[in-house]
Amino acid sequence: MANLLWLQGGACSGNTMSFLNAEEPSACDLVTDFGINVLWQPSLGLELGDQVKEIIEKCISGEIKLDIFVFEGTVINAPNGTGEWNRFCGRPMKDWVKELSAAADFVVAIGDCATYGGIPATAPNPTDSVGLQFLKRAKGGALGDGFTAKSGLPVINIPGCPAHPDWVTQILVAVATGRAGDLTLDEFHRPKTFFSSFTQTGCTRNMHFAYKVSTTAFGQRKGCLFYDLGCRGPMTHSPCNRILWNRHSSKTRAGMPCLGCTEPEFPFFDLAPGTVFKTQTVMGVPKDMPEGVDKKGYIKLTAAAKGAAPAWAEEDIFVV
Amino acid sequence: MSKDSETTFGEEQRRAYLERYGLTPAEAGHDMLIQMIEDMFKEGLTTEVEPFPETDREFGALLDKLRPLSADQLREKLVISGWLLQPYGEDQMRCQECMYYLVHKRWCDLPELDLPAKPEWWCRLWRI
Repeated sequence: MANLLWLQGGACSGNTMSFLNAEEPSACDLVTDFGINVLWQPSLGLELGDQVKEIIEKCISGEIKLDIFVFEGTVINAPNGTGEWNRFCGRPMKDWVKELSAAADFVVAIGDCATYGGIPATAPNPTDSVGLQFLKRAKGGALGDGFTAKSGLPVINIPGCPAHPDWVTQILVAVATGRAGDLTLDEFHRPKTFFSSFTQTGCTRNMHFAYKVSTTAFGQRKGCLFYDLGCRGPMTHSPCNRILWNRHSSKTRAGMPCLGCTEPEFPFFDLAPGTVFKTQTVMGVPKDMPEGVDKKGYIKLTAAAKGAAPAWAEEDIFVV
Repeated sequence: MSKDSETTFGEEQRRAYLERYGLTPAEAGHDMLIQMIEDMFKEGLTTEVEPFPETDREFGALLDKLRPLSADQLREKLVISGWLLQPYGEDQMRCQECMYYLVHKRWCDLPELDLPAKPEWWCRLWRI
C-alpha cells in the first residue's frame, strides 16, 4: 500500500482530466491492482474543507505516511513572495507544498506548470509562478535545486500540457511498487524512458520531413509540419508518437503542430504574436534546427532530399 | 503600385490577357502560366527583390499583401514576391531548395502564390 496525495496550485486541472483518462494502467487500476491509496485528489476526494486540512496535517506530522506527493500546477508566489494569491486550507499553497514535499518519500510534478512553470510563468509572469524545482530551464523553483525527497530522488518531472495519462500512471506505478530505482532522470528530471526520444519519433509524417515537403496550410494530409507551421517535433523530447493519445493518434498525426510542451521553455517565444503555428526563421532558415543538426548540414540535406524526393511525397496521403 | 492595382483586376487587364493568350491567369494551366511569367520578364518586368524578409514579421507582412490578390493578379504577385527567373544572392538561392517548392509538380505551394515555377527561379519568400 502506497499513500498518494495530489494537490493543485496554479492549474487548469488539465492534468487531472488527463490522469482520469488513463488506460494502461487506468486510475482505477492504480487502486485495485497496484495498491495505491489515494488519500485525496481534487477531483476524486470526498473530503472538504477541514477534513482535507486534517489529512494534509497528518501527512506532514507523519501520522499518515506520505509515500507519494503529486503536485499539479505552478507554485504561486505573488503577491510579494507571500503566495497569498493561491490559498488552500487556510494558508498559502506554497507553504503546504514545502512541508508536504519534505514529508514525502517521492514528489512527482505533473504537467508543464508544476515542472517548469508553463503558461502561468510566461513573461510577465503576473502570479510569480514557478515549478517545483525549475523555472523554465533555470534550476531552483519552489523547492530549490538541492531538494531531494526522502527517497533520495529529486522531484520527478512529468511535463506536458497536459502530460499523457499513461506517462502519469506508469510512473506512479513504478514508484508505488518499489521500482523507482529503475527510473533514470534527465537533466530536467524527466524519466528517460519517456523523454529520450523525440515527438517526431514515430510521426507518420516523417517521410515528408525526410523529403522536405511542407504542409503549407492546416488540413493538408501531405507534408511535414516543421517547415512552415511551427511544429517542434524534431526538437521536443516526448513519446507522443510512440505512446499514442487516446491509443490511436497524436497531434502531428492529426495535422496539429507539436508545440513543444514537454520542454522547459514552453510556451516558446513567450507566445508573441506570429510565433505560434509559424516556423520562426532568420533569412529563410529555421531559427530552431532539428536537434543535433547545424545550419550548413541542414542546407546540404535539404538540397539532397529535394533532389531525391519521389513524386508521391507531394500528394495527400493518409497519415493516421 | 497603387493600392487599387494591388487589390483589383481591371477590365483592361482582362482584355489584354484574353487578346494575347485567350484566357486569364486564373484560367491558365501550368505551361500557360509559365509562358505568361516569362513573357512579363522578357518585356522588362521588375520586381521588389529587396528587402528580403529577414524576420517572420516581415515575411508575414508580405503574405498580408499577397493574400487579397486574386488568381488573375499574376503581375502583382510577381512584383510583391520579388520573383526572379534566376537564382539569387551569394548563396544562389533558388526554388529547387525552397520548402514551398514541389519539385515534381514544378509548383510553388505557398498558398498566397500558388504558381508554377522552374527550379532555378527564386523569390524573396524563399524558405528552407
